[in-house]
Amino acid sequence: MLVASVGATGQGKFIAKNAYISFYSSTPMEDILGESNEAVTILNTETGEIAFQALMTTFHFKRALMEEHFNENYMESTKFPKAKFNGKIEGYNSSVLSGPVIDIKVAGILMVHGVEKTITISAKLGLEDGKLVGISKFKVTPEDYGIKIPSLVRDKIGKEMEIIVKANYLPFGN
Amino acid sequence: MKIKYAIILVVIVIAVGAGIGLKMFFKPHANINRLKAEYKLDASSLISEFEQDENSATTKYSEKVLEINGELKSKTKMQNGIDLLILEDEMQGISCQLDSSWASANQPIIQSLEIGRSITIKGICKGYLMEIKVSPAIILN
Repeated sequence: MLVASVGATGQGKFIAKNAYISFYSSTPMEDILGESNEAVTILNTETGEIAFQALMTTFHFKRALMEEHFNENYMESTKFPKAKFNGKIEGYNSSVLSGPVIDIKVAGILMVHGVEKTITISAKLGLEDGKLVGISKFKVTPEDYGIKIPSLVRDKIGKEMEIIVKANYLPFGN
Repeated sequence: MKIKYAIILVVIVIAVGAGIGLKMFFKPHANINRLKAEYKLDASSLISEFEQDENSATTKYSEKVLEINGELKSKTKMQNGIDLLILEDEMQGISCQLDSSWASANQPIIQSLEIGRSITIKGICKGYLMEIKVSPAIILN
């Protein structure tokens, strides 16, 4: 399914199977940081298309209670187990794959909590120590994705959550 | 006098409530060592269950403790120091991130593992994303 979403043939693809994704929000009480090292991303080197998926249950928090609330109250992980992004690098040129890290923009559709939104995110892509790396930092507003936060808690946490993504890509298939 | 008892009662209720609240707030993460496996299965049959019907397999196994037996295909240490074992198939098999405290206490066991041998792991199934994700996991034998 993931493979299919970036195009058919097995040629010209890079994959990162244990990509990093984090979700951060600051509150007066304490900072909330959820991290996963189990996201999967595929980059189609011919078209510049990028697919990224993460399982909500793989996010790990400092406190077990945060993890429970994240999965059960906010993300409803049983109903919506995955967050997905399918996008395309704007003005893609394959030379980015063999040069130093540069700033890029990726436009696509982000699906979180079963809700799809069109977004454009800033990212960096290129070689670092001879390896293809992709990094991105962007913000999302939970309400845009139908995530309900009780008003008692709502005022205490930032309106936007910061998402950080890091992937070390490897050639995939032939 | 009645007021005094009422105040004491209120204080006790608040103290107990706060105690329960704090206990919940500081509740530790599940210790995979102590959890009992709900399902014991072969890696290949678990993979085919997910391939046939991802949704129902996810409902059945996600967040459940599984004991899985399969062939060790790869063993790596990730950048963040976590040991990663892959069973059955390198691209679309079962990916097990080992519990970090278990792994640091059992490095000799991890180091002695040979690729190609059959191993049994116990871990929490997180669902399917190209491969079946199990974490945290420990090695049983």
